[in-house]
Amino acid sequence: MNLNSVWYIAKETGRNLVYNVWMTLASVSTVAISMFVLSFFLVLTVNMTHLTTVLQNQVEMRVFINANVPRHSEMTLLKQADQWPGVRKIQFFTKQQAADSLKKEFPDQRDLLTLISKSNPLFDGFDVYTKNPNEIPALAVRFQHEKAVHNVVYEGQVVSRLSRLSVIMKWVGWAVELLLGLATLFIIVNTIRLAVFARRREVAVMKLVGATDWFIRWPFVLEGLVLGIVGAGVADLVVSQGYHWLIMAATGALPFWPMAPYAQVMAKTLDFTLIGGLVVGGVASIVALRRFLKV
Amino acid sequence: MIRLENVSKRYGNGHYGVIDVNLEIHRGEFLFLVGPSGAGKSSLIRMLYREELPTSGEIYLDEFRLSQLRRTQVSRLRRQLGVVFQDVKLLTNRTVFQNVAFAMEVVGAKGHDIQKRVPQVLELVGLARRRNNLPHQLSGGEQQRVGIARALVNNPVYVIADEPTGNLDPETAFDIIKLLNEINRRGATIVMATHAKEIVNQMHKRVVAVENGRVVRDEARGAYGYEP
Repeated sequence: MNLNSVWYIAKETGRNLVYNVWMTLASVSTVAISMFVLSFFLVLTVNMTHLTTVLQNQVEMRVFINANVPRHSEMTLLKQADQWPGVRKIQFFTKQQAADSLKKEFPDQRDLLTLISKSNPLFDGFDVYTKNPNEIPALAVRFQHEKAVHNVVYEGQVVSRLSRLSVIMKWVGWAVELLLGLATLFIIVNTIRLAVFARRREVAVMKLVGATDWFIRWPFVLEGLVLGIVGAGVADLVVSQGYHWLIMAATGALPFWPMAPYAQVMAKTLDFTLIGGLVVGGVASIVALRRFLKV
Repeated sequence: MIRLENVSKRYGNGHYGVIDVNLEIHRGEFLFLVGPSGAGKSSLIRMLYREELPTSGEIYLDEFRLSQLRRTQVSRLRRQLGVVFQDVKLLTNRTVFQNVAFAMEVVGAKGHDIQKRVPQVLELVGLARRRNNLPHQLSGGEQQRVGIARALVNNPVYVIADEPTGNLDPETAFDIIKLLNEINRRGATIVMATHAKEIVNQMHKRVVAVENGRVVRDEARGAYGYEP
């Protein structure tokens, strides 16, 4: 294809988009809306994943020791456990330290404080940190098998529920997106069909004087790609501004809530929407042209 | 050379457009295709530029075997042809110059070639002064000249015309035929389907008559032979 052809095709694409301006707007906004919904689910899943990771890293396992176990047995177990594979750090605390930290955490609970002061019902124990959060359940079982251990508490269940939820979110997102993608496809197919129909005389003449199929197709395919990418761009703009605002708002209202960083969210959103826009636009124009351009 | 071998065309409704036609058209010939309405002239013409394919038989056009062409080869075939229609098929939102130039643009011609060639062709068909007019500002005869200019602009070996004078008054029709004759004199082969009795009778060219889809007459210097 020479430069004259490239120039001609670019010119024709622009002409199509401008002549059918309302249909162009309809297609762009449909793509934008469906890409926005895709982005919404992306933002949600990226944040779920982020939250899960943060929680996993914070997780500590707390092992409580039976009341009647002598201190030296506790120390032996501490030393042994420190050597177990998967254990990153292990710290001993006495029931007095446990009571003190409880008092600090809940200074207003008078009844509780009185109870602890009279006869401390708490246990000695270990705070255990793992190298990999996945190893927590196995380590918990191992501690549980020790005679000295009273019980083991960890937040693994929260984490595993969160991971399961984010997987479900991901699939729901894809399903919704597939439906919206199909709707977008139909609208773009119609836009391109209208453009082809409006220019059927040109197309007929082009075929008769020997223009190749691809020469005839390119302006329409480009039109589809432009519709897809512009729609995606609009959605990205909205998401980018919206998420920026959300982070600001969250910092004020929910300072302890771990929001996924802006760059991470936008990188994923841009990837998916731009590729999605191009694919939907391209496929739509090929589908639209298949029937029209039989030579 | 164009060669038709046992060409038949049967449509979906069972009706035969063309039945067992054998025909040879040599380079440089001027051939009138005549016959009553519905005789099969247009079916034959459409098969020549491969708008339709024969149901059986084969059409050869120089090195092309029409039923065997891949899609990419169809565009190559059509660059050898100039096709002229009764309804001209001009692009209404483009000027005379742009209509003719369009045929060059879409086959990827260079800009300066277009600027050089289009005025030459417009001069040949006598429309040099009308180059900036839109089709609706032209008479029927002038519009048909634009159609012919568009068919000629890529230097086709064969010009195929389907009743190009059908909508024109006799005088204008004669002008168009004189133009086609001039083009033929410059080397192009002309195949023209027509109802114009007067013209055919005066031109003394080869006449192929079609009736009910069959060739019934093929005369070197023929006459129309029907009451139109």
